[in-house]
Amino acid sequence: MSTLHVLSHSPFGDDRLTSCLRVIGTNDALLLTGDAVYALQPGTAPFNALNARPLNLFVLAEDAQARALAIPDAARAIDYPAFVELSIHYDKVNSWL
Amino acid sequence: MKFAIALFSAAHAPSSRRALLFAQAALAGGHEIVRLFFYQDGVYNASGSVVTPQDEQDLPKQWRAFVSEHQLDGVVCIAAALRRGVLNEEEAGRYQRDAVAVGVPWELSGLGQLHDAVQDADRLICFGGA
Repeated sequence: MSTLHVLSHSPFGDDRLTSCLRVIGTNDALLLTGDAVYALQPGTAPFNALNARPLNLFVLAEDAQARALAIPDAARAIDYPAFVELSIHYDKVNSWL
Repeated sequence: MKFAIALFSAAHAPSSRRALLFAQAALAGGHEIVRLFFYQDGVYNASGSVVTPQDEQDLPKQWRAFVSEHQLDGVVCIAAALRRGVLNEEEAGRYQRDAVAVGVPWELSGLGQLHDAVQDADRLICFGGA
């Protein structure tokens, strides 16, 4: 059973990213949307946490672009059709509301 | 692939826009949306009373057009809608209120409709929060 975790809150405002990284499995993936893409800001604690371990990391491209954040090599930028396909590829989608 | 989509955030929240774009992409990809369920502040997306500034995306209008065009099952949680004053004609009459905010293509119904949709769908996708 694999899960796509979807985050939309800024990692600088709450502990969702920390909690998510604690429970995420090796077959799971993480998709950053909205303000959650601020985790891609180099040199920050959330950025280091993302890079501290192997992770299937995806980023909603337009949300990163809107915030002028570069997509690191470890992440894949996706559009909405790819978001739909990702949600099918994984067995469950868990949105961290 | 059959999707159930639940939306928890108000029309002015970015997550409501993401939900709409996801839903549009799902249909464009040849998938089916068995039900859209608007819960908590998500009920505002079904309100015809929302006035969006001219330079912003009018989400309630776009949801209405999307649901109508594709003849989707757009269900608004009745308990969430009542406490937020997002009433249809029937509920406005029942509780003797003047303002009717919800009409076609929306339906006010219970949380059981979300449960039912999840049983029918292959995937439940929730949008809300930020």
